[in-house]
Amino acid sequence: MVKKKKWLGIALTAALALGSLAGCAGSKDTDKSDGGNGEKITYWAPFSGADGPRMKTIVENYNNSQSKYQVDFQIVPQSDYYKTVDLAFSGQKNAPDVLIMHTDQLKNYADKNLLKDLTDTVEKAGVKAEDYAETAWKAGDIGGKHYTIPLDIHPLVMYYNKDLFKAAGLDPEKAPTNREEFVAAAKKLTDSSKNQYGFVIPTLWPNQFIFPTLLFQNGGELMKDGKPNYNSPEAVEALTFYRDLIQKEKVSPENVQQDGEVTLFLQGKNAMHLNGPWMMEQWDKAGINYGVAPVPQLGTKQQAVYANGHNFVVPATVKDTKKLDGITDFLKYVAGNTMEWAKSGQAPASKAIYEQSEEFKKMKQQPIVASEFQYAKFAPVVANWGQLSDPLWAEVNLALLGKKDPQKALDDATKKAEQVLNK
Amino acid sequence: MRNTSWKSQLTSSLFVLPYLLLFVVFLLIPIVYGAWISLHNWDLLNPVHEFVGLKNYTKIFNTDSYLNELFFEGLKNTFQFVVYSVPLLVVVGLGLALLVGALPGKLKGFFRTVYFIPYSVSVSVVAIIWLWILDTNSGLINQYLQKLNLPLIPWLTDMPWAWISLAIATLWWTIGFNMVIFINALNDVSEELYEAGSLDGANRWQRFIHITLPSIKPTMLFVVITSTIASFNIYGQPYLMTRGGPGTSTKVLLMNIVDEAFKQRQLGNAAAMSLLMALIMIIISILQFRITNRKE
Repeated sequence: MVKKKKWLGIALTAALALGSLAGCAGSKDTDKSDGGNGEKITYWAPFSGADGPRMKTIVENYNNSQSKYQVDFQIVPQSDYYKTVDLAFSGQKNAPDVLIMHTDQLKNYADKNLLKDLTDTVEKAGVKAEDYAETAWKAGDIGGKHYTIPLDIHPLVMYYNKDLFKAAGLDPEKAPTNREEFVAAAKKLTDSSKNQYGFVIPTLWPNQFIFPTLLFQNGGELMKDGKPNYNSPEAVEALTFYRDLIQKEKVSPENVQQDGEVTLFLQGKNAMHLNGPWMMEQWDKAGINYGVAPVPQLGTKQQAVYANGHNFVVPATVKDTKKLDGITDFLKYVAGNTMEWAKSGQAPASKAIYEQSEEFKKMKQQPIVASEFQYAKFAPVVANWGQLSDPLWAEVNLALLGKKDPQKALDDATKKAEQVLNK
Repeated sequence: MRNTSWKSQLTSSLFVLPYLLLFVVFLLIPIVYGAWISLHNWDLLNPVHEFVGLKNYTKIFNTDSYLNELFFEGLKNTFQFVVYSVPLLVVVGLGLALLVGALPGKLKGFFRTVYFIPYSVSVSVVAIIWLWILDTNSGLINQYLQKLNLPLIPWLTDMPWAWISLAIATLWWTIGFNMVIFINALNDVSEELYEAGSLDGANRWQRFIHITLPSIKPTMLFVVITSTIASFNIYGQPYLMTRGGPGTSTKVLLMNIVDEAFKQRQLGNAAAMSLLMALIMIIISILQFRITNRKE
């Protein structure tokens, strides 16, 4: 009896194994037949969050809309993205035919001649610079060549809690637009006895977006003549103003930890919050009554906002004209059909969407993001901005925690960054 | 006789083979390859890797190079963590083992499992849980402090609190492992020794010092060494909880190495830093081994 059972078990296992193998083979077959005989184009992107399915839909729609090309969309998790891309470029892995690259990374790869100059390809395919936001398109011009077709720009935006605005006697449809209005509103919205604050100041991320925004609004620059310029008078003013919101105006608690300001915003205890457009889905899920507005002009000189962007780039090794035709055909399709992308909260850089689509203009957050395009500024065009800027964020952190004077902190940051530069 | 021993030798070698294979593929080859990389100017994006000999190592010791600060600042921070966490990991692990061991049968199994569960979750989960508990302005602990009209503690944004928080989170996460090892060691201590000790009039504490501790000495050494190595490899907790802050005070060596490898894309420098770090760990382990054995 026992023996019989054992045999039965083995037979069943074998059957299951065979079945699953057959299943695998079957699904592979259908995958292939799905693509038809089109030229295959591999496309990599770091969209491992809520934006992944959106891009997937766009690619699927494209594949179904024609049969000449077959785009194979592969998501590489954000945290491993550039490692994987680097390995691909250094020839240790099969490189994709087209991939997404952040604006602040372009220079690293362009310097090493790893990206294809798209000037001719774009012209041949009839893709025009005028069809995209100028800010986004220009960021792809490096050293007299053009490397990108932009997907979106994601600048800093302001989120605010409408319920708290109402409770404080402020108009929930009118967010502050300049420094005076902002500070006044923040003070009104602060009630430390209820542990409620007007503007909780992060001490870590996303200061990588907020501090440059304040600096640009003061008319300052992060780099000057290829050298770190973190301790300019504009920068010191920006950091002093930012820190005073905690220490003098007391509209923010002290010692905010990683994501502490997000937690308080989600709990309805943080009235105003600066962050990227990608936060939208999180607020929606939490069911907060929030408003979105352009970042107020908190600096003294001009309106400006720090941004990063997603761009399509093509590795320099892709030379096959048939492939290039396919890539441009796909990217032209994307430019006209990125409403799906906008649904994740982002504003596509394609004018067909952000200037002409009625559906887009009716959205809550996305048109506001797009309204910041004209004065959005990217990271300085310099290799290894990531590591070059690390000392700055660490010193801004110390200043905001009250451990260092702003001038001293920024002096130290500049010194350390120079050391990194002179390796 | 000879024949069988030859056969049994072959069989035992075959049993070692699978591990040996994995060891060679996943440890030995990467280590040798890493050493090879460390002798080159290895930019991830540059197809040409120029041979530079020991230059990457000399740069680490050259005070003009940013690598010097990157390595020694990171090392200093890692050392601090090791010094704070290892004694806790050993003492608390042993303490819990003694406590759980003293419980009646069924409860013993229950608490052993309870204390071991955190060990099986990933570091990101640990970080999220502790971020919520320790949040300065909305965390669990500070909410209670506020209710008791006590001052709020900046758990993750001030020193020495940041180290304390990281040590607590690490303790909660990994203590189960040390505890289980100690429980097994304690079970192996012969009951007769305790009986004899009692008859000679030794009290609980004396029995612990003179019977328990000497009996579990090999296990103690094992736990001390593995805890030290594990603490040296700290990365996830500060990376997720303090982001190296305040400033760079909790930016540990591994964070700097990863930055150098994948942000700066200088694999040669990063490999040199890792090998130096490994060397330091090996020296410390040997010292620990020597010191414990000398007393014998």
